[in-house]
Amino acid sequence: MRRFDYYQPQSLSEAFNLMERLKGDAVYVAGGTDVIVKMKQGAISPKALISLRGIEELRGMESDGGIKLGSMVLFRELERDPHVGAKYYAMKEAASLLANPQIRNVATIGGNLCNAAPSADSAPPLIVLDAAFLLEGPGGSREIPVEEFFTGPGSTCLEDVEILREIRIPAPENKSGNAFVKLGRLKQDIAVVNAAAMVMMEGGVCKRCRVAVGAVAPTPLRLREIEQMVEGGSIDEELLGAVESKVKELVSPITDVRSTQEYRREVSGILVKRALKEALTRAQM
Amino acid sequence: MKKLIRFTLNGSEVSAEVPSHKMLLEVLRETFELTGPKEGCGQGECGACTVLVDGLSVNSCLYPAFEVDGKEVTTVEGLIGEGNKLDPIQEAFVEHGGVQCGFCTPGMIMSAKALLEENPRPTEDEIKKGISGNLCRCTGYVQIVESIKKAAQKRGS
Ligand SMILES: Cc1cc2nc3c(=O)[nH]c(=O)nc-3n(C[C@H](O)[C@H](O)[C@H](O)COP(=O)(O)OP(=O)(O)OC[C@H]3O[C@@H](n4cnc5c(N)ncnc54)[C@H](O)[C@@H]3O)c2cc1C
Ligand code: FES
Ligand code: FES
Repeated sequence: MRRFDYYQPQSLSEAFNLMERLKGDAVYVAGGTDVIVKMKQGAISPKALISLRGIEELRGMESDGGIKLGSMVLFRELERDPHVGAKYYAMKEAASLLANPQIRNVATIGGNLCNAAPSADSAPPLIVLDAAFLLEGPGGSREIPVEEFFTGPGSTCLEDVEILREIRIPAPENKSGNAFVKLGRLKQDIAVVNAAAMVMMEGGVCKRCRVAVGAVAPTPLRLREIEQMVEGGSIDEELLGAVESKVKELVSPITDVRSTQEYRREVSGILVKRALKEALTRAQM
Repeated sequence: MKKLIRFTLNGSEVSAEVPSHKMLLEVLRETFELTGPKEGCGQGECGACTVLVDGLSVNSCLYPAFEVDGKEVTTVEGLIGEGNKLDPIQEAFVEHGGVQCGFCTPGMIMSAKALLEENPRPTEDEIKKGISGNLCRCTGYVQIVESIKKAAQKRGS
C-alpha cells in the first residue's frame, strides 16, 4: 500500500476545510472496511485519508417518532438496538447479516451507503422504510429521498466535499411489517442478491407496499411495478407467483465473481417473494 | 506524516511515534514485537489479525494505527494471567484440539474472548456466528467450537 497522510478532524467544519484544501488527493474514511481494502488492493491510492471517527455530530441515534441515525452509527449498534429491532426489523436483519463481528464492530451505515455498491445491504431496507438522507457541505445542508442518492455502481449524488450526515427513517405505520432477506455464498457474505419489503394491511387488503432489490442493477432498485401489483388486494400464493415472474423481467443483473446473470435473475424473484411473505407475517403480528 | 500515539497495550501504558499509513497490526508486530496477531489476507477476510480495541474485536490489518490513540488494545499475549497462567479459553483450545498449525489461533481466541465477555453462555449457533470472521484451514472448526463451549463452562464454574 502506498504511503498516505491521515487527518483526524473533530468537527464537520474542520473536515470540510481539510477536504477543500486537499481536494482530489483525499477521501473520507469511516470504518475503512471498503476504503482501506480498496487501497490495499491498489484500486485507489489517495494521498490522504480524512477520518470521520472523531466527529461527534455524526454519531448516535435519536428517536423522534421515527428514528435518526448518525452516519457513523456502527452495524454493531444497529444489530443490538432494541428499538431498531422492534420497528425497523429489515434494518436490524440487514445489520446482523452484514459480514462478521469484526467488520460490524467498525463498519458504519454511512460508509455502506456512500460506497454505493449495488449489493449494499443497508440500501433495500432504507428504500422500503422511506428513508431520507441529510447531506451537509460547507454551504449548508439538504435533505434527499434515499432513491435519489445512488447514481450508479460506486457513485452517489454527494458533491465533492459533502458528507452524509444523517439517515432519517419515519415511524412505520400501524399494521405494517417490513423484512429483509439475502442470499450469499454463505449467509454473511456480500449478497448475490438481497431484497426488502414493507406491507401495510387493512382487513386482509394491502394498502401500501414497498419493494426493493439489490445486486441486480447498477444501483439498489425500487420496484414500483411490483408495489402496484401488490397494493389493493390480498397477498396470496397466486399473487406471489405473478410477482416472482415479473421481478425477473424487471431486473438487469450482471455476471461477476459472485454469481451469474441468469442465477441472479432467477433468485431475485424468489427473494422478493420471501421478503413479501415475511413482511406480511410481521404486519399480522 | 507522523504522530505520537499513547494507548494501553495488554494492561500497560505505551507510546510510539508511528507513520500515518501504518495499520495497527504492523505497529503491534514491528514496534511492540507482539507476533500473536498474524497477517493472513490483510483485507478483512480471515481474522488472523483479530485483537480487541476497547473490548471489541477488530481486524487490526484494517485499523489505522492513529486511531488507537487513547484506547485500550488487547492481543492474545494479554490474556495470560499471573504466573504465566493461560486464560481458560487458551487452556480449552490446548486440551480439546482447537489448535493444529496455530496460524488462526490467536485471532480465533480473541473472537472467542469478545463473544464470551458479552455472552458467557453462547449456544452452538452463537459460537459459530461469533467466529464467522475467522478462517481456519486445518481443524474443520469442530474442535474449535468444542473448545469454546468447554471454555464457557469452565469460566462459568
Ligand atoms: C470481509 C468483508 C465482508 C463484507 N461483507 C459485506 C456485506 O455482507 N454486506 C455489505 O453490504 N457490505 C459488506 N462489506 C463491505 C463494507 O464492510 C461495508 O460496505 C461497510 O458498511 C463500509 O462501511 P465503512 O464505515 O467501513 O466505510 P469506509 O470504507 O470507511 O467508507 C466507504 C466509502 O464511503 C465514503 N464515506 C464513508 N462515510 C461517509 C460519510 N459519512 N459521508 C461521505 N462519504 C462517506 C468513503 O469515502 C468511502 O468512499 C464487507 C467488507 C469486507 C472487508
Ligand atoms: S489479516 Fe486481517 S483479516 Fe486477514
Ligand atoms: S489451526 Fe491451522 S489455520 Fe486454524
